Amino acid sequence: MSKSNIKYFISLVLLNISLSVLWGAVGCSLNDPDRDVIRIFPASTNYKTEYISINSQGGEEMQREIEARLGDVFDEKFEKTDVEYSYYTILKGSEIIGRIHGLNQRGRFGGMQLILATDLEGRIVDFYYQKISSPEADKFKAIEFTNQFLGISLQDFYENAQDSTKTRLAQIKDPSQENRQDFEYTLRGIKKNLIQLDFFFLNRIHDKYFNPEKEN
Amino acid sequence: MRLLKIAYKNIARKKIRSLLTIGGVAMAVAVLVSLLGFNAGYKMALNNDVDKMGYQVLVTAKGCPYEAATLMLKGGGGLRYMDADVYDRIVTDDRIDKITPQLATVKTIEGGGFTMYMGIEDSYTELKPWATFKEGKWFTSPEALEVIIGYEAAELEQRTIGDQIFIPDTREILTVVGIFERTGTQDDGVIFLPLKTAQKIFDLPDQLTGIGIKLKDLGQLSAFEEDLYDEGSIQVISLAQVKGTILNLISSAQILVTSVAIIAIFVAIVGVINTILMSVFERTQEIGVMKAIGAGNRQIFQLIWYETIIICTMGGLLGSLFALAGGSGVEYFVKRFLPFAPEGNLIYISPQLILFSLLGAIALGLFSGIYPALRASLMKPIEAIRSGE
Repeated sequence: MSKSNIKYFISLVLLNISLSVLWGAVGCSLNDPDRDVIRIFPASTNYKTEYISINSQGGEEMQREIEARLGDVFDEKFEKTDVEYSYYTILKGSEIIGRIHGLNQRGRFGGMQLILATDLEGRIVDFYYQKISSPEADKFKAIEFTNQFLGISLQDFYENAQDSTKTRLAQIKDPSQENRQDFEYTLRGIKKNLIQLDFFFLNRIHDKYFNPEKEN
Repeated sequence: MRLLKIAYKNIARKKIRSLLTIGGVAMAVAVLVSLLGFNAGYKMALNNDVDKMGYQVLVTAKGCPYEAATLMLKGGGGLRYMDADVYDRIVTDDRIDKITPQLATVKTIEGGGFTMYMGIEDSYTELKPWATFKEGKWFTSPEALEVIIGYEAAELEQRTIGDQIFIPDTREILTVVGIFERTGTQDDGVIFLPLKTAQKIFDLPDQLTGIGIKLKDLGQLSAFEEDLYDEGSIQVISLAQVKGTILNLISSAQILVTSVAIIAIFVAIVGVINTILMSVFERTQEIGVMKAIGAGNRQIFQLIWYETIIICTMGGLLGSLFALAGGSGVEYFVKRFLPFAPEGNLIYISPQLILFSLLGAIALGLFSGIYPALRASLMKPIEAIRSGE
C-alpha cells in the first residue's frame, strides 16, 4: 500500500475521531465562547464559565420544582439531572453585566441547542439557535423571529400560563408553516432555560409570578 | 541488617536533602513508567480500535490523499466514490469470508460540526457482530426511508424509536427504527441508513466509498491484494499496514519523550551521586572513627551503597505511585498532541512494569553508589579523623 493510500485512510479515521469528539459535547456549551461572548456583549472584558447540574443544586426535589414551573415533566432519556449546563458569567472589569446559558431541547427532527443571553434580572438580551434540524430551520433562525424574545423574562412565561391573551409572549407567532412542534419545543426550551437560571443564579426572584394552579 | 538500619538513619539525618534526591529519582521513574505504559497502552488501544472496525481489508476508490481538514471544509465533498460493480466483481472471490459495501457522506451541522451518514447492507452486522441494538430493529426494506443511529448520535439528536430525522441539503425526512448500543468506536456518532436509500437521497446512484472485507485466511492477504491491483479504479488498504503506519506516526513523539526520560534518568543519577558524595564528605571524620574502631573497607562500602539503594528504591516506589496516580492526566495531555489517538485507555501500567521499574531504580542505586562508596571505603582512618581539625 502506498503512503498516499495510507494517508487517505488515516484522514478518514481522523475525520471519524473528530466527529466522535463533536458528539462528546452534551451540556450545550458555546461552540466558540471567546467570539460568542464578545459578539453578544461587546462591552465585556472577560467571562467566567461554571458547569452546574440539577443534581449538584438539589437533585430530584429540584427537578420536581422545575417540572412544576415548566408545566411538563422531564424526558427520562434525555433530560437527566446529572447533565452539566454551561453558564457563562460576563464581566466588564470586575462588574457582572450578564450571563449566557445554553440548553439542549428535543426538536421534531433532532436536538436543538437554544442559547440565551440575559441581563442581571434574567431578561433575554439575545437568543439564537446554535443547532436546529428542521426543513424550516431558516425561518426559526431568522432574527425577525428570534428578536421577538428580547426583553422577555420568566415573568412573561409565568403570566402567560395564567392569561395567554395579554402577554408579550402571546404576540410571538410560529414562524413555520408545518412544524408547530418545533415552535412549541422552542418555547419549552427557553422557559426551562430561564427557570434553571432563576434557580441557580437569581435566588428564584420570579417565583412570585408563579401560580401552580395555572400551569398546565 | 544492622548496616541497613545505620544507612537508613544516615539518610534520615538530612531529611530535606534526602527527600529532594528521592523526588528526583521518583520523577525520572514516573516518566519512564508512564512512557512504557503508554507504549503498551497505545498499541492495545489501537489494536482494539482497528479490530473493532470488523474487517481486515478496506477497498476504496483510487485518488489523491485528502487531509481531514479538506474533507471537513468540503462537508464530505472530498470523499472519493467508486462504481458499485467493483463490489459485484469482488464478492464472488472464494477467499472472502465476509464482505460489506458502504457509502459514507458528511453533512454540516448548524452552528459548526459534522454528521456522518453511512449507507449499509445487512452484511454490515456480520462483520461487526458487536453492533447490537439498544432499541429497535433493522431496516424494514433495502430502500426504506429509515435510519439506525449510533449511541452518541442518538443522545445528541435526542432521538428515540419512531422519531423523525431531517437530513440537511437533501430535504429528506427519515424515521428512526433502531439505536445501536455504545461500541466505543466512531460508529457511535454515525447515522446509518440502507445503502440503496443513501445512494438515492445523496444522489450517488451505484456509488460506494468503501468495501470492508474479512478473509477466510489472513495468510492470503498479499495474494488477494495483488489480484485486486489490476482493478484500475480502486486501492486496497490492509488494516495491518494502517496499524503500522499509525504507530510510525507516533514514533517521533515517542522518541522525544524517550529522550526526556533518558535525560531525567541521567539527572537523577547525577543527583544521587552528588547527594551521597556530599554526605560522605560531611562524614569524613565519622567514617575515620568507624574505621579506627574496627570497621573494614567492605563494611563502609556496603554502608554507603545501602544508603544509595534505599534512596533509589524509595524514589522508585514513589515514582511508580506518581505514574499510577497521574496516568489519566498524562493520557489527557498526550491525546491532545498525538496525530491519532485511539479510543480507550492509552496508558497501561501492568504489575510487571511496576516490578521492572522498581528493579531499574535499584539498579540505578547500585550503579550510582559505586563511586561514593569506593571513596568512603578507601579513606585512611588517621587522615579522615584529622581532616576536621
